[in-house]
Amino acid sequence: MVTAQLPIANAMSLIELKAIAKTYYLGRTPVPALRGIDLALERGEFAALWGPSGSGKSSLLNLIGLIDVPTSGTIRIDECDAASLGDAERAALRNRKIGFVFQSFNLIAVLSALENVMLPLTLRGVGRRIAEPEARLRLQEVGLADFGNHRPDQLSGGQRQRVAVARALVTGPLIVIADEPTANLDAATGHQVIDLMRALNRRQGVTFLFSTHDSRLLDSADRLIGLVDGKLETVKGAAA
Amino acid sequence: MIALTLALRNLWKNRRRSLATLLAIAVGFAAINLFAGYVRDVYQGLRAAAIHGEGLGHLTIAKRGFFEGGSLNPAHFIFNKAEMDRLRAIIVSEPGVVLATPQLSASGLVSNGKLSTIFIADGEDPEAAGRLRANPLRSAEPAQAGLDPSRPAAGLVSQDLAGMLGAASGSSLTVMTTTLAGQTNALDLDVIGTWDTGTAASNDKFLRLPLAYVQQLLDTDGASRVVVLLDESLDADRMRAALGAKLGAAGFDVDMRTWVERSNFYRQVKNLFDLIFLLLFSIVFIVVLMSIVNTLSMSVMERVREIGTLRALGMRKGGVVRLFAVEGGVLGAFGCLFGAAFTGVTAAAVNAAHIQYTPPSSSNPVPLTVAVVSGTLAGSLLVLSLVAMLAACWPARRAARVEIVDALGHV
Repeated sequence: MVTAQLPIANAMSLIELKAIAKTYYLGRTPVPALRGIDLALERGEFAALWGPSGSGKSSLLNLIGLIDVPTSGTIRIDECDAASLGDAERAALRNRKIGFVFQSFNLIAVLSALENVMLPLTLRGVGRRIAEPEARLRLQEVGLADFGNHRPDQLSGGQRQRVAVARALVTGPLIVIADEPTANLDAATGHQVIDLMRALNRRQGVTFLFSTHDSRLLDSADRLIGLVDGKLETVKGAAA
Repeated sequence: MIALTLALRNLWKNRRRSLATLLAIAVGFAAINLFAGYVRDVYQGLRAAAIHGEGLGHLTIAKRGFFEGGSLNPAHFIFNKAEMDRLRAIIVSEPGVVLATPQLSASGLVSNGKLSTIFIADGEDPEAAGRLRANPLRSAEPAQAGLDPSRPAAGLVSQDLAGMLGAASGSSLTVMTTTLAGQTNALDLDVIGTWDTGTAASNDKFLRLPLAYVQQLLDTDGASRVVVLLDESLDADRMRAALGAKLGAAGFDVDMRTWVERSNFYRQVKNLFDLIFLLLFSIVFIVVLMSIVNTLSMSVMERVREIGTLRALGMRKGGVVRLFAVEGGVLGAFGCLFGAAFTGVTAAAVNAAHIQYTPPSSSNPVPLTVAVVSGTLAGSLLVLSLVAMLAACWPARRAARVEIVDALGHV
């Protein structure tokens, strides 16, 4: 484990977080989840966010994924200040530049695997003629070319998460955020999913940031970001 | 498109719940349309009864003030023969006018020698009356007795009045009234038949007499009004405007009333049925509203995580509202389509059953028929689908306001 050494943001960092704090309230009692996070992520990184349960991993990923807003501090994504965006603009930015892989897969139950993968493009208004071949290509990349017509309940956990990875990649995002993507999978399948994400990162240059509390998965990452009690504690492989 | 796909598949996924909501909408839709179809037929029957049965025609033209004061001072409102001929010539020259016939009313006592009772009589041109009284809705029924142009002292007695006086075809009555000058006058009347006025209120006091006979009774050569029959496709109000301009230019100061304005019974029944329809529609409106709100509230509760996922993937808040609005609209539209089928089948069954009933104030049974009114079908489909869509917006707005993080963490 490497001693804490916070990365300093480069001028062209993909993600820049400055003095980020997030406080929740239990009734009137403030519960700080993140305390003064400074972090930069560069294009093409394959970074793991790790730490014990309650350390703030999900809170940090939610902020980077623009599905939550910080109590204080600034977030810049691809040089765009998130604080300046309205709800619709944030939705559009998520759709264009951020892919999500969730712990519980979060596939739409009534859509087939192919339709699930097409969904981000469909939401953007891309027609089926363009969206479908793109989605098929992504399914092929995750090894599920023959499972396009299967509904999520006809797929195994690992297959579902691979569909989720394909869905995250279909828009050609700058970054894919994966919150505990292996938590609901057995160890072998979890490794397969991480290996798949790693391969796609190398092949396509997409930045991946995933959280885990499984130390066996950290070897795959070329950068480790440690969180304890809402603070960055350790970092392996600082940003370039 | 994705909203429609998700709506259809989610409705199918929860098909038992969807079916319950759909049936509630279908039954409500059918109730509205069956009642509207029944009322439409009632209105048509009453319209024909007023225009043809009562002999009101589509328009009645009289001197200004006749409709308010004609019964108090009838002599003041009489068109003499020359005026009447000129008036009728102008009216019949208007395209769409089928018939313009003079009428003159009288009232007094009618007696069979032993019993006297009051009467109200319309004096009609016997030839024109045959055309005016020909009810198109009863064309399949045997022709009712009519006035005979060759018998100037023979008339028709309404059925209940004939019963009271023991009058039948071939019997003789005495008709007594006062002339326009105020003198008592009486004439013998040959009964050539009886007829049903269609309403209990008039069936025991009406006589139909030749115009010349009533003129003789009242000692005049004129008539108090012209009854105008129009082509069925024409609107009486429009014709009133057109004729009003023409007659005004010719120097006639006249008042014109449509059959609706002259038929109190029609207006009363229509007002009552319109009110019942409004109440029924309001109840169905509330049932549809509550069913959709209930169904989609449950759907929203079950799909919070899905909503969070869609929002994370880039769906806007408006998109979430649209998603559920489309689902509500689809439920509403399918419910209405089921309801339309139910309406058609039920209406056909009722019409095929040849049910007879006696409506209030009616003098005899009438067939119970239910029309399928395409305009009401389309209108109620549109309105109820929109109601369903708008009802869905309330739970949908709640769904859209859920924070994405909370939605994703929802179990």
